[in-house]
Amino acid sequence: VLHATRPLHTTQQCLAPLPPLPEKGGEVRYGLIPEEFFQFLYPKTGVTGPYMLGTGLLLYFLSKEIYVINHETVAAACILSVIIYGVKKFGSNVAAFADKLNEEKVAKALAVKNEAIKDLETAIEQEKKEQWRVEGRSYLFDAKRNNIAMLLETNYRERLLMVYNEVKKRLDYQVAMQNLKRQKEQDHMIQWVEKNVIQSITPQQQKESIAKCILDLKALSKSAQAAV
Amino acid sequence: MNLSFFDQFTSPCLLGIPLILLSLLFPALLLPAPDNRWVTNRLSTLQLWFVHLITKQLMIPLNKAGHKWALILTSLMTFLLTINLLGLLPYTFTPTTQLSMNMALAFPLWLATLLTGLRNQPSASLGHLLPEGTPTPLIPALIMIETTSLLIRPLALGVRLTANLTAGHLLIQLISTATTALLPIIPAVSILTALILLLLTILEVAVAMIQAYVFVLLLSLYLQENI
Repeated sequence: VLHATRPLHTTQQCLAPLPPLPEKGGEVRYGLIPEEFFQFLYPKTGVTGPYMLGTGLLLYFLSKEIYVINHETVAAACILSVIIYGVKKFGSNVAAFADKLNEEKVAKALAVKNEAIKDLETAIEQEKKEQWRVEGRSYLFDAKRNNIAMLLETNYRERLLMVYNEVKKRLDYQVAMQNLKRQKEQDHMIQWVEKNVIQSITPQQQKESIAKCILDLKALSKSAQAAV
Repeated sequence: MNLSFFDQFTSPCLLGIPLILLSLLFPALLLPAPDNRWVTNRLSTLQLWFVHLITKQLMIPLNKAGHKWALILTSLMTFLLTINLLGLLPYTFTPTTQLSMNMALAFPLWLATLLTGLRNQPSASLGHLLPEGTPTPLIPALIMIETTSLLIRPLALGVRLTANLTAGHLLIQLISTATTALLPIIPAVSILTALILLLLTILEVAVAMIQAYVFVLLLSLYLQENI
């Protein structure tokens, strides 16, 4: 109906957003008769008007046997009482259940939205942190540079030490060689001198030296006896 | 009007115009059409929830090929449920009390399940005629029995629904007649009878819902065997 009355192509055709559902349904009295009927009759017949109308109609139908009371009436009374009892007892529960279903549906969508918002906020914080980290980049590079310089220095000194040690080893070897050579020469010379001296001792000299030693000993023994 | 007991089972006619089609299609007018909205009013929400419940229950035991039957089984369930429940109101005609209508529902659907089974997996379908673990001498007799039970299924489906509903309605009529007749004579017994009628009405509401459910459930079971 709306589309028929709207002039063609004068407004932007838009089916969204849909008009919201009304908060409550139409007011009814006794679950059947809309409140507007009572309001309609009120100016002319007052408050009791519709009730008089209803009673009159009912009595008219009954008395003229337009509505005959037969077994269906009793059955009608029974089923209607069952229905009314059911509606009164479980009506609010069913309504709450339907509302809960709708709530869950909306809550699920809201949860998705909130999750997305939270994820984005975390991402923003992490980005800010990364930006802060970028500011400290120069310190990081300085420290790294120092580190590397120290490593290089250490490496250089180690190699220097190694060179020094190697050179010292070689020089020590030469020194040891020289010492050994001199030692050997010395020993050899001493041995040669001793050999020659021993060879030069003639047997005559040997006898003379032994006789002298005996005379010396005797003299010493005499002086020794005197001491005792 | 003075009603006999069987006037409620005659197909409604107005000035010679049969109204059976109207009485079949009318319950559909009472169900709210799905709106364009995401969050609907309470009635639409409940209807949607109910349809989801039925469809899920029916489709869980079926494999993927069986899901093609979702629409017809769910709509059959809703159809039978609304017709049965509306028939409990006074002066209404219940189409499912007519054997012709129930056979027209049961026979083609059962035949569809049978032919699907014979077409797609003939040996498995025929294998259902012999339960596992039967002793060998009993096999011929058992196959005859199982075939008979297979062929009697549509009849059973239709007659079950018809008989349950017709018997229920007839009982309501009889007991309410008893109540009406006893009221001027012995009001006390009349009130007792009215109490019985109340209980019977509650039973009939339950039966209406259960019979619809059983019809659709059995069809889905026949489908499970054959798809």
